[in-house]
Formats: sequence, structure tokens, C-alpha cells
Amino acid sequence: MNTAFQRLQREHRAEILTDWLQHLAAAVDRHSPHPPGLDAQRESLFDAVLTTLAERPNAHDFMLDPDSELGRYLNRLVTEQARQLASPSETVGSLLALKQRLARALLALDLSSDAVVESLLWLDRLFDALSLFAFKAFVDIRERLITEQSLSLLELSTPVLKLWHQVLLLPLVGVIDTLRARQVTERLLEAIAEHEARVTILDLTGVPVLDTSVAQHLMKTIDAARLLGTRIVMTGISPEGAQTLTKLGIRFADVVSRATLRAGIAEALLIVERRIAPLNSERQL
Amino acid sequence: MSEHFATERLPIRSMLDIVTARHAARELCERLGFGKADQTRIATAVSELARNVIQYAGEGQCSIADDSQGTHRCIRVCIEDHGPGIPDLEQALCDGYSTSGGLGAGLPGTRRLVDEFEIQSAPGATRITIALIKRG
Repeated sequence: MNTAFQRLQREHRAEILTDWLQHLAAAVDRHSPHPPGLDAQRESLFDAVLTTLAERPNAHDFMLDPDSELGRYLNRLVTEQARQLASPSETVGSLLALKQRLARALLALDLSSDAVVESLLWLDRLFDALSLFAFKAFVDIRERLITEQSLSLLELSTPVLKLWHQVLLLPLVGVIDTLRARQVTERLLEAIAEHEARVTILDLTGVPVLDTSVAQHLMKTIDAARLLGTRIVMTGISPEGAQTLTKLGIRFADVVSRATLRAGIAEALLIVERRIAPLNSERQL
Repeated sequence: MSEHFATERLPIRSMLDIVTARHAARELCERLGFGKADQTRIATAVSELARNVIQYAGEGQCSIADDSQGTHRCIRVCIEDHGPGIPDLEQALCDGYSTSGGLGAGLPGTRRLVDEFEIQSAPGATRITIALIKRG
């Protein structure tokens, strides 16, 4: 039990809370819109902090329990702020602003110097734990967001397009690592089976570097696609890329390859016995 | 060319670092006035070696330096790791030899890609230096 903080809680709660909320509204929320419910969340956190300060002794080895009331409120507030892309310094800053106000209020009480020192140390310790907790929670949430985003990017970046009847187009863009290669292969094979594709155009224009690992992934994809009865037309290898590949000693020996997507499409249509012709030309077939 | 560009030192710990390293190499190569084919050569070589680091040693580092002298322009990349090392260098430099089910074209191919290629390997210290040189 800490009597000093009990007094603060009993006598000065409203005034400290108002002061803190006003400060936050002026200093922190200025940059970002003030979401509804934020004040209520802050108030819950405020009360949990005061209760912990008042009820717990000055624990030298205080660790914030994530499942305690205080831990839950703080976590919720941090989550909210991280999702709104606030900076972690704002989150921790608002905690420190509260600490400052509590320290000031403590000093204004008429206490013995021993009690003041004792209470300030406890205040310090608690807020150290809160700040560390908030920072860690913040980073965890951000990391989760980033993982989610890169997963959705992965989803987006491997479309298999139906270009024409029995003709598929797979435009590869970006870094081809093992994970992407596996996903690309899976999608492509499904699409080939579904559309009974006779030709698949593999466009590499957007692949930044063709090294042995990328080449190996491509070869495996191509081999698997062929087993399903499709022919592969590779397009979009740059002149430099071609030179580099041969120097590396990589041979795409029996794969049809065209420099541009346009030439590749022409080749693919030829295989399915179609062609692109002006509207008014005579039909020959 | 008397003034040299600053040497860049990059860690290689993840797939992302491979991308960063080959970008940096390509950029310096371009700034030194090499053509597009050379830029692609160095980027591919760095990509190849950095991937070996991740695959066999887990992590390492790479330094990308401007080593031009007089009218000769030169980009030199050194890639190091503290992994298990390459047990049989001669074999590792042969086409088609791989201990990991790869194409076995990485090291010999890289050697063909660049103008200078130097390799030292012992358990705990592998160091490969490559360079592109343009005489002007």
C-alpha cells in the first residue's frame, strides 16, 4: 500500500486526468485525427495506473503482467495507436507526460521527504516497466502488420492471366525466392489444368536479376508446366540478362524465347493457330 | 579520376540483404561509368555470392569498393562469411558440382562473369573477392 498515491487517487484524480488529457489533445493528437473513444481508453489506463500505484508496494522487481488490468488497457491503447501509424515516441511520450504530472502532484502533497523519495522511486519503476512494455507491444504490432502486408503482396503479385483461349500469360515481377517460386508454380499449374492451356507465356521483364537460383526455380516451373501439356514461351529477357545467363553457363536449351512480350504473344497465337489481323482484312482461314 | 567513391559495407543476413547488396553494387558500377551489361554482370555475381553466404554460412558481410587507378576504372566487391567453408575448392569451381541440389553453376559461372576472381576458404573464414575492370 502506498498512502501518498492513495491520497492522489482520492483527492486529485479528476484534476490530473483533465490536465493529462488536455495536454495530449494539444501535443499529440494535433497531428492525427482524434478517434472517438480514445479519451475513454486513456481514462481507463489512467485509473489502472493510479490503482496499481496506490495498491502495490514499492516492488523492486516489478514486472508488468500482460494479463493484469493495467497490461490489458495499455496493450489496447498501444494497439490502437500502432494501427493508426502513430510513431512509437508519441505513445511512449504520452506515458511520460502522465508520469511528469503524477510526480508534480506528488511533490505538491505535504509529505515527509522519506515518503516522497519512496513514492518517486516507485513511480519511476512503474513507468519504466510501462514504457518498455508499450515499446515492445508497439514493435510487435508493427511487425505483425508488415508480415500481413508482405503476405498480401505475395498474393497480389502472382496473377495468371488468360490471354486467349488456351493461352495463358504469367508476368513475373520482383524478387523470385523459393517461397514465391513455389507459389507461382502452384498457381500456374492449377490455371493450366483449368484452362487446358496449350501455350503459356512466361514474361520476365519485371525480374531484376536472373541468377542461378532464379533460373533453377524457372526451370522447375517450366518442367512441371510441360508435364501438363502446355508449351512455354519465355519473353522479356534483356540483352544484358541474356549475356549474363550464358556466361553463368545456364542453358534454357529447348525453351522458346522471344525478346519482347509482343513477339511472344505472336508466337503463342501461332501455336494455337490464331493471328492478330486488321478488322478489314480478308479471312483466310 | 583521383577521387574515389566511398566503400560501402553491408551485412548479409537475409534474402532482403541480397537485394540491397546487389542494388548497391549496380549503383556504384553505374556511377563509375560502366555500361548496362557490366552493371548486370556485377549485380548477378553479387546476388550469386550473397545467396551462397545465406545458404551455406547463414550470415556474412560484403564490401563494395571503388578501386579505380589512373584511367582504369575498377569496382571490387569482397564477400566474407564465417561459415563452414568450402571443403573442395577445385570441385566447387567445376560446372555442375553442387552440394545442395542446385545447378552447380554459381561459383564457376560467377568466375566467368567477372574480370578478377579470388577465393580463399577455410572452416570459419571464406572470402571471395571479385572485380570488374574497364581500361580507359
